[in-house]
Formats: sequence, structure tokens, C-alpha cells
Amino acid sequence: MHEASPPLLELVDITRRFPGVLALDGVSFRLAAGEVHAVVGENGAGKSTLINIISGLLPPDSGVMALGGESVAFANPVAARRRGIVTVHQEAELFGSLSVAENLALEQGLPTGLAGWVRWRQIHDDARRAVALLGEPIEIRQPAGRLSVAERHMTQIAAAVMQRARILVLDEPTSALTAGESKWLFAQIKRLQSAGVGIIYISHRQEEIFQIADRITVLRDGQRVWTGSRQSIDPSGLVRQMVGRHRAETMGHAAAPVLLTKRQPRLQVDGFTAANGRFTNICLTAHAGEVLGIYGLVGSGRSEFASAVFGLEKPSGGRLTIDGQHVTITSPAQAVAAGLAYLPEDRLKQGIFRELTVRANTVLSALRSLARGPLASTTLERAATQGQVAALNVKCRDTEQPIGQLSGGNQQKIVLARWLLTRPAVLILDEPTRGVDVGAKSEIHRLLRALAAGGTAVVLISSDLPEVMENSDRIIVFRSGEVAGEFQPALVTPEVIATSALPVVSSAEATLDSRALRRRAFQPWRSEIALAAAIAGLFVLLALTTHSFFTPENLRGLLANAAVWTILSLGAASIILAGAIDISLGSLLALSAGIAGLTLKLPYSPSATIPLGMLAALAVGIGGGLVNASLTLFGRVNPIVITLGTMTIYRGLLISLTGGETVTDLPIAFVNWPSSRIFGVQGSVALSTLAAIGVYIWISHLRSGRHVMAIGASVTAARLVGISRTRTWLMAFTVGGFLAALAGVLELSQTGAMQSGMGTGYELQAIAAVVIGGVSISGGRGSVLGVCLGALLLSLISNGLVLWQVSPYHNSLVTGSLLLTAVLADLAWRRLDQ
Amino acid sequence: MNSSAFRRAIRFLLPWTLLLLAVALVASQTNRPAAVLNMWRPWGEIGALAAVMTAIVLTGGIDLSVGSIVALCSVTFGLIWQEGWSPITAAAATLAVGFAAGALNGILVVWGIAPLVATLATMAFYSGLAMAVSHGVRVAGLPESFTELGQGSGLVVPNQLTLFLATLATAWVVVHHTRFGRYLYAIGENRLAAEFAAVPVRQVEWTLYTASGTMAAVVALVYTARGGAAVPNAGAGIELQTIACVVLGGTRVTGGQGGLGRTLLGVSIMSLLDIGLQFVSRKIYLPWSDLPWQINANVRLLLVGALVIGVAIWNERAAAARRL
Repeated sequence: MHEASPPLLELVDITRRFPGVLALDGVSFRLAAGEVHAVVGENGAGKSTLINIISGLLPPDSGVMALGGESVAFANPVAARRRGIVTVHQEAELFGSLSVAENLALEQGLPTGLAGWVRWRQIHDDARRAVALLGEPIEIRQPAGRLSVAERHMTQIAAAVMQRARILVLDEPTSALTAGESKWLFAQIKRLQSAGVGIIYISHRQEEIFQIADRITVLRDGQRVWTGSRQSIDPSGLVRQMVGRHRAETMGHAAAPVLLTKRQPRLQVDGFTAANGRFTNICLTAHAGEVLGIYGLVGSGRSEFASAVFGLEKPSGGRLTIDGQHVTITSPAQAVAAGLAYLPEDRLKQGIFRELTVRANTVLSALRSLARGPLASTTLERAATQGQVAALNVKCRDTEQPIGQLSGGNQQKIVLARWLLTRPAVLILDEPTRGVDVGAKSEIHRLLRALAAGGTAVVLISSDLPEVMENSDRIIVFRSGEVAGEFQPALVTPEVIATSALPVVSSAEATLDSRALRRRAFQPWRSEIALAAAIAGLFVLLALTTHSFFTPENLRGLLANAAVWTILSLGAASIILAGAIDISLGSLLALSAGIAGLTLKLPYSPSATIPLGMLAALAVGIGGGLVNASLTLFGRVNPIVITLGTMTIYRGLLISLTGGETVTDLPIAFVNWPSSRIFGVQGSVALSTLAAIGVYIWISHLRSGRHVMAIGASVTAARLVGISRTRTWLMAFTVGGFLAALAGVLELSQTGAMQSGMGTGYELQAIAAVVIGGVSISGGRGSVLGVCLGALLLSLISNGLVLWQVSPYHNSLVTGSLLLTAVLADLAWRRLDQ
Repeated sequence: MNSSAFRRAIRFLLPWTLLLLAVALVASQTNRPAAVLNMWRPWGEIGALAAVMTAIVLTGGIDLSVGSIVALCSVTFGLIWQEGWSPITAAAATLAVGFAAGALNGILVVWGIAPLVATLATMAFYSGLAMAVSHGVRVAGLPESFTELGQGSGLVVPNQLTLFLATLATAWVVVHHTRFGRYLYAIGENRLAAEFAAVPVRQVEWTLYTASGTMAAVVALVYTARGGAAVPNAGAGIELQTIACVVLGGTRVTGGQGGLGRTLLGVSIMSLLDIGLQFVSRKIYLPWSDLPWQINANVRLLLVGALVIGVAIWNERAAAARRL
């Protein structure tokens, strides 16, 4: 039946290589319409790479991918999605501070109408329909970061169902779901199946696979080893395929059973429990001279447990004993002093220092023992490194070569050497041979045996079952954060161990409880309400304690001041929301005002110079913003460093232009307009309101504005959905510069004079207003209303300081304190959200 | 490859060419070397700060608040002396204030606030504090026994140069020849891996920012003594010049690469350029117009800004090219 028409998806001879590993080796794969095709294999077998290629995250090195008979190549995930391939990843990158509904919409490109106007109603309707499918009350307007892992998966699956996908890729979809939720998922899969959707299903849970799959493909070491219908294989046969028949027969006999009674325990762990529930009540002992294997699937809590033992995370309970001595470890430094060593799982991120030398990488943890008195000794370090390089057979040119130039296996040997130099009593290795070539792999295995023979307790954590079977004297299996069993590898088959590591489906009541706890009330406007209350309180206080506050003159002055602050703060906010920062805004404001002032002094009629001056100022602002953005983006330098430089440059240009002299006697018409009435309100207030509305519309209702928020919320997630940081930052900095110029023109006309020191320190006040207004300093969260309120509060405070006759010298202290408080508040918000 | 060898040559030659140009410029203008030596006094202060800043930048951090701490400390000294305490007591209190200000920076950074943001906030806070406690008033008439600190030449060269060289030497030993120094590079190259390698990241960071604050207090004393008065806007803009020296020497702003030799180079270029340009103070008529052009303090500041940006980008590019 499938042979009649071309299959829905066909992969032929797909190969993908990573440095040091062949992740996929000539894999072919077919998916028919209306079929559930399960892909199984051990960790590292190549499943994730296969999914990433299908979903457009990675291009294959070679091979052909065809969709309905037509050859395709996806540039990014959005392209794959456009062709109907929807992927629900196990650990999805998302925009934590954006709403659930918007997250769902961004994955397929925001639906927009004329001029990039975002169709919010459609976005919310779609999301609501998806959530309705779940039968669970999920608030679609709350930030996605508040969802539990299960809720994230469920909403994504629901959205995929709603999207009329042609191909749905599900990566371990039930790993976080309860039994009831899994049942719902299977019902949805059946529905999609009957509608002709092809489903690729990745799971470790055999019972699920045998329940829903039509066909099964087994991957092992990057190769396809078996494909067939569900009926043609039984569970134990499947495990045999995953593990490898050949290895399954030979392994387990390498190590003779060890008599543990005579061996002294070196590491004893009693009742270790994680504060976040990733593992509970772990008890184990590692003896001198043995290799203790820890086997468990990804997410079983084994790495979390190891890093807690090493002092990187704080356990909520448990005792640790090393060589008979009870120890309390709160930092890795203490762990090393106690005789522990931990080779981390992710070599590139947690292990090596790419651009440092082989020597620096080797000796880092043993510097104390390689010093001459207080001074470090390059000679001793080099000798120690050369010793290790020779002992571990590391292939490198010399010890002063950057480690990044070595192959993966040699890098791993160096990280191992780093720990050997500390002469540990207990050596914990987390996936020591991941991404390591075969030769180095067996060398590392031999080394572990030699270390154990020398009296070290070696703990080998791995999700590679043959590795654990072949190299351990004893194996402890982790399952869902608990010890599921202990085995002698010589006495059991790999199937027994693999089966004991599989999670039990109905162990999910606990997640339900913890989810109920997380469901705090969702209050979208809490910071704005708090600000408004603070403003009202201060207003009343000022009116009651001073006579001159509630007078038309003072209020007019207050509003005039607030107008400048609002506009400048909106400019700063545009940039901060995009995840950048610009401290040249004060100088840019002054430079724009200076240009305007000089133009106004030209010997032509005011009716010509006023519009010309304004245009010139705004052009300068836009230009300055573009310069900041371009230097940051194309120079790849932090925006603070760049704008620290342009801050002085813009100020210097201004002084060069004016010669440091004050520009006064501006045309009357120009000086008058902010206080004249437009639509019944003060001109300056009208202008700032207009700016606020403009920025609000841009940020909330236009596609480019939403992209600014998305970039600020998560650069990684933004890249996945195809949002360009270059374009977005150029836009944000341009808007920021434009608004700074607008504020400058307003300030110029209100003060009627231009000094070269104008606007000094304004950028800090504006940043303070923005952060006080509830905008996250790292971007992605905040509202225009909050920024306006923040600016208003700041102006009210400075007005109050004048009226209360506080010395003007306290003004800057108040600003400084406010900024400091705001930064601390931002930190507190972040901690609270986690 | 050929082009990368070319790039490496340029990268090596560029700073030294600039330095040579600056030396030539100064030498061609001078007939009173002693006066020139005195012009180095502010650069000795900046150089001392830059030596400590180098260690911070090596970890991928930055301290924007040094200028404000100088101001706060200058004011502290002036006010305490004014109350009738001896200059020694006042100096001790000043150092304590600098230590405390630096320690607060350190705590904020260790808590997990990005150093740029944390010290940007304290920069505003400390300078506000300096203004508030002094009411913007300068304290003049400091005793000669104290002003000698900033105007004298205890060890042949101006005291500031002695301070700079002593700080540079100390920092050089610490950064290049101790365990602490090795940790700096590891943290700057890969902070997470440093934690996994049992580097006491938090202690190192706290120590750095505290040292920077304390050094700012020392510089504040010398600065105040040089001017003969405690001023609330002392050290304004000094943080930019300090960072400029570090970056200009070739220490990478994202950390992990650089060192004090480079900072010595950076300070030399910046100071010579600045001093050299002060000699060229007569008006120049640009060849294509009649506009007179004068190199004044402002133009020098412009040059500093442009140099910082240019070199920061240059270094980042060079590092990226090396990685390929």
C-alpha cells in the first residue's frame, strides 16, 4: 500500500559528523502517511541528530531528504514548519517572559495583517482552541516561563494538532506526563493518524511503543540496525537490537566478581535528596579498588546527584562519608580537599578552557601542590603536564598549545589528567567517553581499571549500557531520581538492567501535587499598580506638606520635566527590551539639541530654521543610534563598551561644534511651543503622550516590536524561529536614538539655552526609570505604561526634593540609590520567577 | 595561512607603531624634560587603576565605578580632615571607605548581577553619595605634609609614577605568577568550567572588586594631594581612561586573554598620546579649508573614545580569526 505513492517523508543515506563523532552514518528512513513510526536506541545512538535534521535545526553532511517525493533542504526550523513538519522537542527553548499564546504563534511566524499589524485576536483564538483540546484550564496570557514541563509539552502538542501538521515529530513526549495525560496524548495521536498525518515517535518506554507504533526503527552508534513492523518483534528482541547482539553476548564476562567484603569503603552516601526533587533518598557506597557503574537514562537524576556530591548544587538532606570521615561539602573546592574529583558530562561547556594552553587546562585544579611557596611555578606545571601527557598518551604538539586544537578524545584525557593530579580518593566520571573516538575510548577504559587497581574508588556514570557492563564491578541503576536496583554485571544480562532503568508510567501523582503548588495567581500588572500607588501616595504627601506643590505653575513645570524624562526613558526602554543597553543616550540627546540650536541660529527666518533644526536633530539621533548598533553588531562587542566610547565621542563632537559655548537667544516661536496648548493640553505633554502611544503601538501591535521583545526574552529561541538579531537591534537602537533626539529638542525649547554639559548623566536616570518601571534589565519583559510611570515617579521625586528644600546635591544620590534599588529589585524578580 | 600571518604581524606592529609615533611627537616638542615628567602624574594614577582593572577584565568583568569611588574617597578625606583629625587618620578612613565600596561591588557581582550593570548602578550611587555628603563643596587648604604625597617626588620620579610602577609590579606577580592569577584566566575563558574545576570563582571575584575599590581609594588620596583640595567630582571620566588603557593594550574585554605587559603598553600609548597632543596646542589650518583646528582636552577625549571602540573591535576580530 505504501509503495503505490511516494512516502510522506523519505531520508536516504543521511550522514552527519560532529567533531570526533559520526552521529549518523548513512541512515535511511521512511515515514508513510497515517503511520506511527517509533525510533528507538540508546542515548547517543543518533536519535536527536535525526530529529534535528528532519526539523531543520541541522543540515545533513550528505544524503537526501524528500517530502512526498520532492527533495528538500531546510535552512531553519521555520522552513521545515512551513512544509508541515512540526516538532515537539523534549527540552524546548521558549520565550519565558512572553505569553503562552504568543509562544505558540511565534513558532510559525506571527500572523500579521496590513503593515505588519499583529493579529492578536487570531493568536489568542488559536491558542484558546489548542488549550481547549487539553481540557485543562491553562491561562494563555500568562508568561510561558510559568508553565510546568508537562504543561509546555501538552500545549505544544495541542498546538501541533491544531496546525494541521503533515508530519509530527514527538521526542520523549510522555517523559513529563502523568498516566492520564499520556492517555490523552495517545487519543490525539490516533485522531491525527486517521487524518493521514505521519508521526515520528521517540521514546524509551517500551510499553508505549508496543501500544501505538506501526513500525519501529532501531538506531545504534549512528547506524540503522533494524526496521520492521511492531508485530515482527517482541520487547526483549527490541532491547537486544538496541544493545547489540554481539556485544550483549560477550559483555559482562570481562570483570570477575569482586569480593567486596574485604574492601574498605571510600565513599558512602546516605539518603541524598535534591532540593528541587530531581533525586530522592540516594544511598550508595563505592569501595577502594572497584569501579562502580551508575546506569540511568537522561533525566534519571544521575548527573544531578553527582554534581550535588561534588558541592555544585546543594542537597536538601543526606550524609556524605569519605574514608570513614563524615564531611560536609558546600563547594567544589571543599570536595577536592576531601578527596573527590568529578569529570563533568559536557566537555565543551563544563570541562575545557578552549583557548587556554594544555598546561593551564591540566594543572588548574592542582595548582596548590605545584607551587613554590606563594608563587606558581611554570617549570613544575610543565613537568606535571608532560608527565600526564606521556602517561595518558595524549597527542599534542606541546604543552603550550591551546587545548581547542586537540581532538575530542585528547581533550577529554586532559580533563581527566586535571583530576588525576589532585590524587583523588574517589573519582566520579560522568559520561567520560561521550563524543570520544574509539581508540581514546578504550584507553580511558583501561585507565579506569588501572586507577581502581591502585586503590581509587572509581564511579562511572554512563547511559551507554555496554560501557557500564564491560567496565564495572557493580552497577547501580537510577530511575526517576531513585536507586532502582544493584546488579553484578557478570550475573545478569543487559536486558535486565535496561528494563530496570525504564521509568514506570504511573508514577506521576507527585508531579500533579507540585504543579498545583506552582499555580500562583497570575497578576500581569502588579508592578504598574504598585508604581501608580507610589505616585499617588507621593502626590498626596507633597500636596499636604508643601504649599507650592499643588499650584498651576509647579504642576506645569513638573509635567514639562516629566515629558522629557518620559520620552528619553521610552528610548532607553526600546533598547533594553531588546536585550541591549545604550549609555550614550544622554550625550546623543545633547548632540541633537546642539545641532538643533546651531541650526536655529542660522541667519534665516524662523519659519525655515525651526523645521530644519528639528529635522536635523532627529536625523542626528537616528544616525547616532545606527552607529551604536552597527559598531556593536559588526564589531561583536558588548553594547556597554561601545556606547561608553560613543558617549564621549558624541559629547566631544558637540563641544567641538559649539566651541564649548552656550547657545541662547533662540527664536521665540521655538521656545514657546512646549507651553502652548495643543488639543487643550500642554504641548510637551501632548508630545510625550504621542511618543508613548507610538512606542506602545510599535512594541505591542507591530511585528517588528514583538521581535524586539522576543530577542530580549531569548536570543536562542529567537534564532530557532528565524528572528534576526541584526535587524532587530538596528531597529531598537534607531528608535532609541530618535527618541533621545526628540527629548533633546524638547529640553532645548523648554530651557531656551544649550550648554555643552546638557544631558550629562541623563542616561543613568533614564535607565533607572525604565528598570523601576518594571522592565527587566536583561530584556524581554516590561510595559510602556510601566516606563511612563517610572519616569513620572522620578520627576515627582526630583520635584519633591526641590520643594522640600533638600540640597540639590542630594538629587544625584537619590538617582543613584534608585538605580541601585532597581537593579536589586530586578535580581529579586528573577529569583522569584525561578 | 598567508593572510592570517599578515594579520598577526599587523596586530603585533600596530600598537608599537602608535607608541613610537607618540614618543616621536613628545620628543620633538620637548625642551624641558622635567616638566614632561610632571605631566605624567595623572597617568600614574590612571595606570595604577588600570593595573587592577586588567585583572578584572581578564575574568570577563569590568568596574565602571572606580571614578565614582575616587570622588567619594576624596570627599571622605577632605571632610574627616576638616573635622580636625590628622591626615593619617583621615587617610585610613578613606581607605576603609574604598574597601567598603569595592566590597559592595563584589557582593553584587557574586550575587549574580552582571558586572557592567552592577557597577553602572554603583557608579551613579557612589558619585551621588560624594555629592550629597560634601554638598558639592570642595575642601581646600590641605596641609603641605599631605599634598607632598601628590606633588612630590619621593623616589626620584613623581610619586604617581612610583605608585604606578609598584602597583604594576605587584599586579604582574599576582596575575602571572600565582595561583590566583591562573584562576583569573580560567574564569574569563569559561566561568562554568572554572566552577566545575573547583576554582573558587566567587572568592576570586569578590577579592578583585574589593581590590579595585581599595586601589581607587589610594588613587583618591594621591589625586586629592595633587590638587591640594578634596573635590566631589574628582576622578570624573577616569573609568573610561582606565578601561581604555586596558583595552588598548590588547586585553580582551570578554576575558581570558591579555595581561599586564599589554596594559603597560596601553598606558604608555594613552599617556604619550595625551601628553604629546598637549604640546601640539597651537592652531592648525586644515589643508583643504581655512578652518582653524585645535587639539584641546575635548579632542583628546574624542580620540580616547574612538580608540577604545576601535581597539575593542580589533581585538574581538583578531580573537575570532584565531579561533578559526
